[in-house]
Amino acid sequence: MTASVNLLATLVSIALLVTLLAPVILVGLLIRDWKKRTLW
Amino acid sequence: MNPVNSAILDARTGWVILGLFSVLWVFLGWLWGHKAKKLDEFMLAGRNVGMALGVATAMATWVTSNTTMAAPQLALQLGIWGMVGYSLGSVGLMLFAPLARRIRILMPYGYTSGDFVRLRYGNTAWRVFLVISLFYAFGWLISLGMAGGVLIHALTGIPYHYGMTVIVTICVAYTLLGGLRAVIGTDFIQTIIILVGITILAWLAIDQVGFEEIHAGISEQRPELLNLLMPAALMFLFNNLLFGVGEIFHSNVWWSRAFAFRKDVGFSAYLTAGLLWIPIPIVAGFIALAAPALGLNIPDADMVGPMVAAQLSGMVGAVLVFIVVFSALASSLDSLLAATADLVTQDIYRGHLRPDATEPELRKAAHVIILLLGVGTWLLCLPRLTTLAELLYFTGAFVASTIWPIAAGLYSRRVNSNGAILAMLLGTAIGLYSYFAIGFYVAALVGAGVSMLIVIVSSWLWPQEFDWNSLSENNREPLS
Repeated sequence: MTASVNLLATLVSIALLVTLLAPVILVGLLIRDWKKRTLW
Repeated sequence: MNPVNSAILDARTGWVILGLFSVLWVFLGWLWGHKAKKLDEFMLAGRNVGMALGVATAMATWVTSNTTMAAPQLALQLGIWGMVGYSLGSVGLMLFAPLARRIRILMPYGYTSGDFVRLRYGNTAWRVFLVISLFYAFGWLISLGMAGGVLIHALTGIPYHYGMTVIVTICVAYTLLGGLRAVIGTDFIQTIIILVGITILAWLAIDQVGFEEIHAGISEQRPELLNLLMPAALMFLFNNLLFGVGEIFHSNVWWSRAFAFRKDVGFSAYLTAGLLWIPIPIVAGFIALAAPALGLNIPDADMVGPMVAAQLSGMVGAVLVFIVVFSALASSLDSLLAATADLVTQDIYRGHLRPDATEPELRKAAHVIILLLGVGTWLLCLPRLTTLAELLYFTGAFVASTIWPIAAGLYSRRVNSNGAILAMLLGTAIGLYSYFAIGFYVAALVGAGVSMLIVIVSSWLWPQEFDWNSLSENNREPLS
């Protein structure tokens, strides 16, 4: 059973999308915590 | 084939980057941590860490140099399942989420994972656990210190001893100056650097080579990497999952964060960190799959990521890889230093040597212990004995044997001390036997299996009625 080019592309594209979104989510959470004074 | 020298940067550029980032980490460590006067502030960042810093520190600590360097290597050795198997390391983070919430509720004054085992199972289990935990911590410290020297040398040509000394010294310096607050603050920036860095590199691979060409290159030169039924890869997948769970469940690196996060943050921070961590090894691993299409001759499998990056984007890619690897190394080494220092301070110094130590004495001891751990790590890394770094591979059986005594002990009153001790000892022994008799990929699997069986059977035959309130005792009381 061999992975097709579509399977490889889908797997990597989804992973790349989440990796791209992760810093945005982190910075968003940081701003929210900073505003709420719950950073640390 | 294009033979490429494994040093992708010149030493001078390497020193400039090392210098700039070293100054930045030490300054930020001092800035964020120098006001921490109390022990709780220094060791646990005041027990008030919010969601953003909580998620980032869990992610950064779990992204070690292994993730950025070994994930590409595994992709090249085990193919698609190598990448996916590595990403299952995130399961440990997600499974720890409910535990982190329970730990914070049950032990509002707790400091270390050792505190839990001592209060839950008594002194004998505590000492067995400490041996396992410290063995793992030292194995990881040495492996990270050596990885620092080896990687800096491989990427820039800077001699091993210089690179190793720089990474250990910098991490000791800012951990010493700022405690856990410095570690968590720098972890946030390091996480962003790692995420942005690997995204750019993967995008370059897609843009310059493309999925079809990469797939064609693998199909032609390494078709086994596309095999979805590769048995070794499937075994690796499950073993890696259990190794990760064992590492996270027992290690004070993760417990100290559970104590440090705000009351309502532990669960969501660990769960989010786990979810966001899943794609990192897949993206990092994918970069390696471009090697066949690029016609690269890879002399060392663990250098495949940097070599592909250098081939794709020259100097810029090489600098990016170096910064990502340096950030990944620092984010794990600082966390491990701080958490191991907490364990030694609370469980060895206070627990065994000075039960009546005052808070200022413990704070001073924590500083001395961080320094001693740094010096010890540096000395053990000096001879560059690879056998020492390989210690970490053996720890799979050790850490997996603690999964059940920890997890079941947090939720079930019935788990008893003798069962927990036996589970850790026999799980480790039989796990180690299987490591040598069968292979590295089954040690954690067997260790966790044996430990589970013993915990279940002993709890059924000799149930204990544990009083949860005894976990919430103020641990500042002198130990009996």
